[in-house]
Amino acid sequence: MEELILELKEEIIRVLNLEDLTPEDIDPNAPLFGAGGLGLDSIDVLELIVLLEKRYGIRLASAAEGKTIFTSVGSIAQFVSENRKK
Amino acid sequence: MKKEWAGTTYGSAWMHKWLVRMLRYMDVRILYTFVAVFLIPVCLLVNPSAGIIYRYFRKRLGYGPLKSALMTYRNHCLFGQVVIDKFAMYAGKRFSIEVEGYEHFQELAGKEESFVILSSHIGNYEIAGYTLKEERKALNALVFFGEKDSVMANRARLFAGTNTKMIAIRPDMGHLFEIDQAILGGEIVSMPADRLFGSQKNLQLPFLGATADFPYGPFGIATLRSLDVLAIHVMKQKSRTYRIYVTPLQYNKEAPRKEQIIELADKYVAEVERMVKRYPTQWYNYFEFWSVEHKKDGKNE
Repeated sequence: MEELILELKEEIIRVLNLEDLTPEDIDPNAPLFGAGGLGLDSIDVLELIVLLEKRYGIRLASAAEGKTIFTSVGSIAQFVSENRKK
Repeated sequence: MKKEWAGTTYGSAWMHKWLVRMLRYMDVRILYTFVAVFLIPVCLLVNPSAGIIYRYFRKRLGYGPLKSALMTYRNHCLFGQVVIDKFAMYAGKRFSIEVEGYEHFQELAGKEESFVILSSHIGNYEIAGYTLKEERKALNALVFFGEKDSVMANRARLFAGTNTKMIAIRPDMGHLFEIDQAILGGEIVSMPADRLFGSQKNLQLPFLGATADFPYGPFGIATLRSLDVLAIHVMKQKSRTYRIYVTPLQYNKEAPRKEQIIELADKYVAEVERMVKRYPTQWYNYFEFWSVEHKKDGKNE
């Protein structure tokens, strides 16, 4: 799981152009959106949806599903480890 | 912080209903005259939009004080006309439409892949939704969640039986999934590319000689899956004639993503600039469009 979390942090930094951050700066349990976390914007969700599809072969079905998954890097890693096809 | 657009048509549901009923029987030109003589002068006195548009003519287009004042009046009259035209469409009236570059729309509609349409609040884009109907591909138009029920009901009525659907931009992320599904299904996604709504992520771009904030979202979405993009603007020619401009926007799909976004956004802004210079009185962004920060340090002047 640790390896997957690190990989996800690197991918998130790459696809969202968060060049000022290193994987160590990202707390896997910190919220992705809003204050006190990564401070991602709603439009970034689309980037994460495509990241999951292209990198792990996972296609999300609904917004409701996305809401739970895109809580933190840790929650994404948990979902990816259980559903990855690649 | 930049003010987010309220995203709703002015007036109450009762007013909208009354307008539609009246326009079933009345020539639009009668209402145009009423609005120009009685409503616009009052609006110019009490509404901050007068100052905003006056500054747009003075600073961005370099007009003299008198010409700017006259053009501000003309701009508000034309805005009144396009709103009346929108309700005239709801009332069943039809306008004469000329289309320039329709072949670009047809070419992309014939492909299997999805494509994106970008538009702005110039002219009367809503007319395009009722005109550029496409049987081969569904057209998904992004609309603001906060729009009045009466306007949404009228739109839904006009779109009934057509291949056009509306995706409401909501505070949660539901609309992003709908957009993604539409793209994966090879459908058309139409988005306004001049206002921040939903996402606050923006691109600061030179526009009419100063820096302005454009939304990141439409350009990010188009480049995310390397989609083809069309700029579509619908400009008023005469009282009952509109001209639709369909312009393909090419960008290097092999370039790093960040560069793709900037190239596409630059090309779109250049197209809006071309339209605005051709139809200067049809600019309908009634808020401080150019970055306040740049005004403060003099870069915007």
